[in-house]
Amino acid sequence: MKNDQILNTVKQINRDRVESSLFLPDFCSIKMVFSVVIIGVLLALILTLVPLRMDQQLWSDFALISLFIQWNGLMCSSVLCVLRPFFKKYSNQFVAVSSYLVLLIMITFLSEVTFYIIEAYYLTNIISSASHWEFLIHNLLIGGIISALALHYFYIQHQWRMKVQAESYTKLQLLQARIRPHFLFNSMNTIASLTRSKPEMAERITEDLAELFRMLFREDHEMISWSRELTLSEHYIDIEKQRLDERLSIRWDVSQIPADAMVPALILQPLLENAIFHGIEPEIKGGSIVVMGDFDKKQIRITIQNSNSKNLVHRQGNKIALANIEERLKVHFQGKASIACEDKNDEYFAIVTMPYQTKNDT
Amino acid sequence: MKILIADDEPLARERLYHILKEIDDDYQLVEASNGLEAIEQVNQEEPEIVLMDIRMPGMSGLEATQHLIGSDNPPAIIFTTAYDEYALQAFESQAVDYLLKPIRKERLEKALNNCRKLNKLQLEQLGQQNQEITYRTHISAQIRGTILLIPVKDICCFMADHKYITIKHNKDGELVETIIEETLKSLEEEFSNQFLRIHRNALVRKDKIEALEKQDDGRVLLKLKGLSNGFEVSRRHLSSVRKLMKS
Repeated sequence: MKNDQILNTVKQINRDRVESSLFLPDFCSIKMVFSVVIIGVLLALILTLVPLRMDQQLWSDFALISLFIQWNGLMCSSVLCVLRPFFKKYSNQFVAVSSYLVLLIMITFLSEVTFYIIEAYYLTNIISSASHWEFLIHNLLIGGIISALALHYFYIQHQWRMKVQAESYTKLQLLQARIRPHFLFNSMNTIASLTRSKPEMAERITEDLAELFRMLFREDHEMISWSRELTLSEHYIDIEKQRLDERLSIRWDVSQIPADAMVPALILQPLLENAIFHGIEPEIKGGSIVVMGDFDKKQIRITIQNSNSKNLVHRQGNKIALANIEERLKVHFQGKASIACEDKNDEYFAIVTMPYQTKNDT
Repeated sequence: MKILIADDEPLARERLYHILKEIDDDYQLVEASNGLEAIEQVNQEEPEIVLMDIRMPGMSGLEATQHLIGSDNPPAIIFTTAYDEYALQAFESQAVDYLLKPIRKERLEKALNNCRKLNKLQLEQLGQQNQEITYRTHISAQIRGTILLIPVKDICCFMADHKYITIKHNKDGELVETIIEETLKSLEEEFSNQFLRIHRNALVRKDKIEALEKQDDGRVLLKLKGLSNGFEVSRRHLSSVRKLMKS
């Protein structure tokens, strides 16, 4: 019940953010210019083929129609490109209507210029049968329909893209919120106990906890440097160490990983939490965790190894954390990072591989 | 009054210790760091109240409680936990007392004042609602007022005999027999992953099965590792035994 409420709130916030972004793509980008040219050629081909004829004039007609359409298309694109910063301030409805009007005005203007050139240079044989008005109205009709279709297409595509983005944001936020509630309450209990016996330690644990949760509540899920991630992970272990005492032993062997490598914030913590939950807590004597780091100039690899509990009671929840990390790696590295797990009787391994990126790369 | 604090975290025990001493300096306090130790302490110290953490290594608080309330004069039990969605729902539905960590002094005082004894029915239903204690790690038997725990992994077989069940199990390298009061049917359901029914009156440990022997009189006997005499397999269960042995 409560989870559903959180889910809905998060979804609403993301939806609001989505609504406020501009649906028109950047027409100055090379990708857009290329698409405009291709669509122009295809449109010209359709217009040439529609009269259902096959003569020698066909390809020269195609060339002329194509020239006219390309001219229109590229001019319209550049105007929309110039107007884009201005459009950003307005709602998408206003942008849709005004960009449509701008396109119609552009088509009118370009048609007039074309007609003037044709007349001035006595090229009337090209459009011999059409009068000035017929030429203009035909162009406006064709241009109007194509523009409307294009704008509609951009709008739909934008909506779809935003939906996907909002969904992955929602997932990201929810999944990050999955730090086990157990951990928070256990830590509170630890602090309550330490306040009496070791006030300085209670103070330090409170600071550690605050830092962890500050990172967890950060709205933008940006990348942080490895050195920062390591500090946060150590804070986490410090807190758990208070609680589990000598039952938890950990060895960090990560000096190979460059401190400036960028990693998704708190990518390690859920894995450490899993290691404690499955490997240390169920055992009376506890166990040990080893964190190893490898670096080969292109990739960093972090391996978390923990002793496998022999106790029959296997607790659930492991898969959620792993799915969470997989999802976050996908969002941050688009398939260039991975997580793998190996269960070797006595030992359990979780291996995260990520491309080496510094702050300048991201 | 004697109170047992069962919790695997030293700091959690320490905190409860201090609060209890604040409530009443005359309380006699004993501690245990897991379910097994808790039962040992109950046997030895006979406390009136146990503050039982649910998640503990080795044997959980819920399982320890299951063994405890089977005894002749069980202590009253108050569960403590930091956060346990499923367990809490189960407790609420069964009106079992529980305390959430960090525990407030006033709340603890109240719980001590009106703690009641759990009954078996309540606990059975708790077990059904709580996913984590679907099967026990130990079987408990009453011997002269104290609780004897038999690790399930040491048990070779359960033999039903009228009202009682005889457990044959290894103890310090020797095979001994202990009698408990449970039904073979419920044991079969609980431990179906480790034990197989071979006869109306027998459950045997799957990984101890060695060979099937056909007798002259047509009966089929099952040999278990480390046991000289075989167990009769009924015709009804023969196919399932064969299936297991093939795989």
